[in-house]
Amino acid sequence: MFKKALILGIVSGLLAGVAGLIYAHLYYSINEADFGKVASSIRIVAGSVAGGILAAIGFWALNKWLKNNGEIVFNLLFSILSFASLLTPIAYRLPRELETPELFPGMVIPMHFFPALAWFTLKPLFFRQKTI
Amino acid sequence: MNKLIYPAIATLILLGSAFAFVATSYKIADGYNIEFSSSDAGGVFKTFKGTIVFDEQNPAASKFDVNIDVASINTGNGLQNKHAKSDEWFDAAKYPQIRYTSKSFTKTGSGYQVTGDLQIHGVTKPTAIPFTFQKTATGGVFTGSFTVNRNDFKLGKPGGDVGEQIKIDIKVPVTK
Repeated sequence: MFKKALILGIVSGLLAGVAGLIYAHLYYSINEADFGKVASSIRIVAGSVAGGILAAIGFWALNKWLKNNGEIVFNLLFSILSFASLLTPIAYRLPRELETPELFPGMVIPMHFFPALAWFTLKPLFFRQKTI
Repeated sequence: MNKLIYPAIATLILLGSAFAFVATSYKIADGYNIEFSSSDAGGVFKTFKGTIVFDEQNPAASKFDVNIDVASINTGNGLQNKHAKSDEWFDAAKYPQIRYTSKSFTKTGSGYQVTGDLQIHGVTKPTAIPFTFQKTATGGVFTGSFTVNRNDFKLGKPGGDVGEQIKIDIKVPVTK
């Protein structure tokens, strides 16, 4: 169970990282706001993979602890925590040489949902749903 | 005729020395830094313009008339920038400029001090700024630091999270 969850976490983290990189590239080409200094490609991928691994640990722990209700609680928690994490980019103070800090949350906020999206998308491939 | 030569020479020397004491007019070069900091807020102003006339030997002949574009404030956070420009703080729409006009200069032990009128948020207060001037090959660098009380300029509400004493650090490279 933990091995499967961990692989799912890593794969969904990588997928979220790739989605984040594509989004960052698009955002830069549209707004010409370069935040590479604070949100570099490595940081985007590493942050996404870290999110995926944390989700895997949480998923495994909650399923072990709450048995049948573990997944429900996990899904709720993952969504709530992803949403709560938006406060970080909103309150983040960028280096002052970066000209347009008001555009920073617009770039980073969607990325905070990518690990959850990737997890929920890939999960059926790793954990087959039992037929009712 | 001889009687006129000496007064003429004296006049010429006097005129020559007057030209020697003409203060140098400097252009503000790129790379300047106008930084403010308090207990909870800090940032920079990105746009700084004005006239700088300065004479190290004769500071009294110097003149500073500079202004800062309030809308160029950058705290590093978009929400804070918006808040700083709002009518609760700088009210950038109504008072788009911060202006400093010098009135007198004095030489101090470690450098110089300029006294003049600082206008922020529509309020003008006499303000002294101690500074140093370091000559470079192309001009020089002015460096100064002073503190203002934001309540004097009706910036924000008294108390609150943002400290009332705002420290301002200035570094302005100039070219001739």
